[in-house]
Amino acid sequence: MSVVETKPLRLSGSQPFTQQPGVYLMIGERTNVAGSPKFAKLIKEGKYEEAVSVARQQVENGANVIDICMDEGMIDGVAAMTRFLQLLASEPEVAKVPFMVDSSKWEVIESGLKCLQGKGIVNSISLKEGEEKFLANARTVLKYGAAVVVMAFDEQGQAATYEDKIRICERAYRLLVDVVGFPPEDIIFDPNILTVATGMEEHNNYAVDFIEATRWIKQNLPHAKVSGGVSNISFSFRGNNKVREAMHSAFLYYAIGAGMDMGIVNAGMLEVYEEIEPELKVLVEDVLLNRREDATERLVEFGEALKAAGAGTSAAEEKKIEAWREGTVEERLSHALVKGIDTYIDIDTEEARAKLGRPLLVIEGPLMAGMSVVGDLFGAGKMFLPQVVKSARVMKKAVAYLTPFMEAEKAALAAAGVEVKAQGKIVLATVKGDVHDIGKNIVGVVLACNNYEVIDMGVMVPAEKILDRAKEVKADIIGLSGLITPSLDEMVHVAREMERQGFKVPLLIGGATTSRAHTAIKIAPHYSQPVVHVLDASRAVPVTTALLSEESSEEFKSKHAAEYEAVRQQHSAPQQKLVPIEQARKLRTPIAWREEDLAKPSFTGVRVLEDFSLTELAEYIDWSPFFHAWGLRGLYPRILDDEKQGAEARKLLADGKAMLERMVREKWVTARGVYGLFEANAVGDDVVLADGTVLHFLRQQAVREGDVCRSLSDYIAPKETGLKDSIGMFTVTSGIGLKEIVERFRAEHDDYSAIMAEAIADRLAEAFAERLHKQVRDDWGFGLTENLTPEELIREGYRGIRPAPGYPACPDHTEKGTIWRVLDVEAQTGIVLTESFAMWPGSSISGIYFGHPEARYLAVGKMDRDQIAEYAERKGWTLEEAERWLGPNLGYEPA
Amino acid sequence: MQGIHPLRKLMDERIAIIDGAMGTTIRTYGMTEKDIRGDRWADADKDMLNNGDLFSITQPKMICDIHRRFLEAGADIIETNTFGATSISQSEFFVEDPRERGERKDPAFYQSVLENPMLRDLAWEINETSARQCREWADRVANDTGVQRFVAGAIGPLTVSLSNSPDADDPGFRVVTFDQVLVAYKEQTRALIAGGVDTLLVETIFDSLNAKAALVAIREVFDEDGLELPVQISAAVGRGGETLISAQTTEAFWNAVAHVKPLSVGLNCSLGPDLMFPFLTELSGKAKTSAVSAYPNAGLPNPLSETGFDLGPEDMGRFLGGFAQDGLINIAGGCCGNTPEHIAAIAKAVRGVAPRSFDRELVKA
Repeated sequence: MSVVETKPLRLSGSQPFTQQPGVYLMIGERTNVAGSPKFAKLIKEGKYEEAVSVARQQVENGANVIDICMDEGMIDGVAAMTRFLQLLASEPEVAKVPFMVDSSKWEVIESGLKCLQGKGIVNSISLKEGEEKFLANARTVLKYGAAVVVMAFDEQGQAATYEDKIRICERAYRLLVDVVGFPPEDIIFDPNILTVATGMEEHNNYAVDFIEATRWIKQNLPHAKVSGGVSNISFSFRGNNKVREAMHSAFLYYAIGAGMDMGIVNAGMLEVYEEIEPELKVLVEDVLLNRREDATERLVEFGEALKAAGAGTSAAEEKKIEAWREGTVEERLSHALVKGIDTYIDIDTEEARAKLGRPLLVIEGPLMAGMSVVGDLFGAGKMFLPQVVKSARVMKKAVAYLTPFMEAEKAALAAAGVEVKAQGKIVLATVKGDVHDIGKNIVGVVLACNNYEVIDMGVMVPAEKILDRAKEVKADIIGLSGLITPSLDEMVHVAREMERQGFKVPLLIGGATTSRAHTAIKIAPHYSQPVVHVLDASRAVPVTTALLSEESSEEFKSKHAAEYEAVRQQHSAPQQKLVPIEQARKLRTPIAWREEDLAKPSFTGVRVLEDFSLTELAEYIDWSPFFHAWGLRGLYPRILDDEKQGAEARKLLADGKAMLERMVREKWVTARGVYGLFEANAVGDDVVLADGTVLHFLRQQAVREGDVCRSLSDYIAPKETGLKDSIGMFTVTSGIGLKEIVERFRAEHDDYSAIMAEAIADRLAEAFAERLHKQVRDDWGFGLTENLTPEELIREGYRGIRPAPGYPACPDHTEKGTIWRVLDVEAQTGIVLTESFAMWPGSSISGIYFGHPEARYLAVGKMDRDQIAEYAERKGWTLEEAERWLGPNLGYEPA
Repeated sequence: MQGIHPLRKLMDERIAIIDGAMGTTIRTYGMTEKDIRGDRWADADKDMLNNGDLFSITQPKMICDIHRRFLEAGADIIETNTFGATSISQSEFFVEDPRERGERKDPAFYQSVLENPMLRDLAWEINETSARQCREWADRVANDTGVQRFVAGAIGPLTVSLSNSPDADDPGFRVVTFDQVLVAYKEQTRALIAGGVDTLLVETIFDSLNAKAALVAIREVFDEDGLELPVQISAAVGRGGETLISAQTTEAFWNAVAHVKPLSVGLNCSLGPDLMFPFLTELSGKAKTSAVSAYPNAGLPNPLSETGFDLGPEDMGRFLGGFAQDGLINIAGGCCGNTPEHIAAIAKAVRGVAPRSFDRELVKA
């Protein structure tokens, strides 16, 4: 006999499986209604979800392939097979293995084959109904690309003896290989494992017949495989698992030795051959190998004795505690999400709820953390979409567990008169012109699993339909999807429409050709609310949760805005089109100059505010930045009720207010300021005061939306209008005396109070600037009628601005020098400018007042060499000096 | 057996060239909604501009120009413009989406699609028309140049998935059944064959079960109609080498389609040549009985670049030339973002490089 290398059996689920020579392939049998009464009951009762977990356990216990059989009188085989396999397809940990579709009904087999993306095994075909049927079925199996189990049956019936087994197998093999062209390595013979120790003498050699037939097949039918239903062998010992396990192990030991490749077996119910009790092993082998006439009686006796001693239960069945169950509850939840295991999700979720106190904290804490691990793994190509979806489904279970608690909490809040937010609503649509939505559907599923109400509008949806529906259902978020490049333009259109119609909800962008850069650069500028690119389905939930969270949405939005601004700047840095300065000037802020828009100051010149009332300033404090200084994120006063930071925030505020009170009462610091109003006109991009003093301003050169290139000088009437305009300047401080206080605290090793004192002084300086701005508006006249509360002031809901040199509207720090000269700041207040134009003491602020109704803050952004060179000339600098002071704003590489 | 297929023979001698992208090349012609509609669909309710397959009917001059340019750039194989030419995919452009009314797409909906004579006739017409146009140009250029050209009937992945449930409450739900997909694919297969294609190319596979339905459909058509053409198979894989929706890894995918004995198996579209490389290497090592093809996107979609994709002709030439030098491929070309200029660069880069060898006896002619 020539030595031919046996071709291995190659199968696949979502993962490949290649049979290794000499390694026994285990086929899980617990998803067989005939083999598992428990599974049969679950299917009959329609408890498919639990039935799926049976499949999962088989895989976890090491089954290489799982056998699925629905042959039971009370079960609709086609429907049950289809439904179960479609569920398994959504179960990545199970779907990775190949499936064996097992039925005696051909239509059930075919319905199973229609659910397998991989290469599975058909169990089984045989010659029972003749050659014609056999060939037709084999061709069908080949058409679907499965391997096949061939039972040793023919028209006469089941082969029990060695001779019948090999005769039938050889005939079947020749038909398959020669007539159908079936790959011989995909043929798996099942030469019938029949029950021994039945008491019938003719059954005593069944194990030997099988083993010998196996040996013959492996030697004579090239590449063919051998399998069998192992548990049949021990059927006589039902109820005595100890004996059965030993029989299975010993039988497999010999059958594998003869070449058996695989068998259907409960992977969790196998004793290790070497570990079988020696006495039992001998008895079992006597039966299997038909070595003694009384072998059966002896084994039965032994079995009865074992049973009487209560040792009949399975050794292998004892529950092993899985290692991951020993971690912290956070680790367990994360593991469950990443691995898609929902077995313990209720218990773990409850434990986390008890630990963290509130259901929402469980969702936004450990569950969201787990989902973000999923996102990271997916992004790295280490998890695939079905696993992400499965994780989301586990998340759904956890959320479902928490829902009653959240409902109760909401009801309690509502009863207490607190307004409660409904579950978030998200309208999803694939934009007009695009028909692709499989990815979008996955996003919808993942979001729905996280308790969001998803309104999926389908594909090819025009903007007006999306927006109408969003209005109708009061959507909290709109999500757009598209796969082809023209969809990107349509998304821009939708964003524009949202802006035009005054939408206030965030817009999510997703789909294969979308990107963060495109979203930031091309879409976001058209809509004044957050426009967020969602990289993949795994990111949809963190983004949505952050956007809708009462606690963290402000933080997310500001972070997001900064991030996208950086993307835009990065993108624009090298290739942003800068127009020549001459052209930029032509694009200046269009203002129709009218006498009545120009404020008339009640005085011109300089006024000093000596020792301003700290009590009054305290009223103008904006507390939000106070918390930022301490690393807390959120807006005052809402932050005080924040679940995570609330307690900390309340303590800080109490301490801060206590210190403020002492600071005011004991007069730790002195607030001093100086300001002035002056007649002025714009000359080019400069503003020239009546005494000839020049304030220098810079102009935007990057062409933007609306094609306006702004400069602060645009807000002062140009000289050529002939109108008399005015400008203001100021410097304030609340830092006089601060240094001594801070040093005193530090000497007492009380750093907390030292930092607190600085933080409070900073707030007072800001409050001073705000208060003084109010004074200036009154001096200009228009402030007298504005009637704003301090809160409205903080939100800057008034006419005019007070930009500070060194900030985006006028990035040249050295202009502070002009303010110091004009107001004689150092002499009047004691505030000095350092060499780098920083102010000392700290807690000082300076700026320039503009009173025109059109005046607004702006960012000069990148400028080209022509403006910088000209600016240097205006300032009396060299080009290098100008480039040094304005480095971050250079839109070109300096020489 | 009819002897060795001439395309098979060609691949013994050299690396064959397959054409570039239809969709993204069409976009360079600046066609408008009015152009694609023509008179015939002037009153259609939905936008047609991205229903690129319709151009074969309404703007045959442009489509034939694209075929001609790819052939002249050196393509041995051109694909029919039939990526979405099934009644199921066409329904997206012609039938109201039930989700707009708050209902859902389900097998009952797709049954009505399959039974819609307008859609069925349209799908047939697109396939047959496009196949004929390709046939005509492939033969014309072959006559002019003395080099035989081949037409691959493109069978796309559909707009529905047999592996994925869009229902959050029921992971076992499917919008469409295997048998429905099978029917749609059989109609497409027959129409492509009627139009005269040389091979059938099941491509851009992101759901292996959809692909399986297509392969079963092809087998059934062959058996029922008594003929046999070479079959080509190509998957679109993600960062882990998985079919994008059904997440089947490369070797698992090969195991699932090897029984077809395809003329070629390969990877296309998706993430571009560099990210495709490890999986192409894996496939090339496993699929020993088949030719291997690679026609990736011109890199990742980059809406901010002029062509919409990251890589230019030289870049693609460099990558595919590298695949050839490494002995990984028998067929080279491009997918989304690849213009005739890209294909010319690829053809140039693989010229003279020995093709990957594969087990000849086992390949069906």
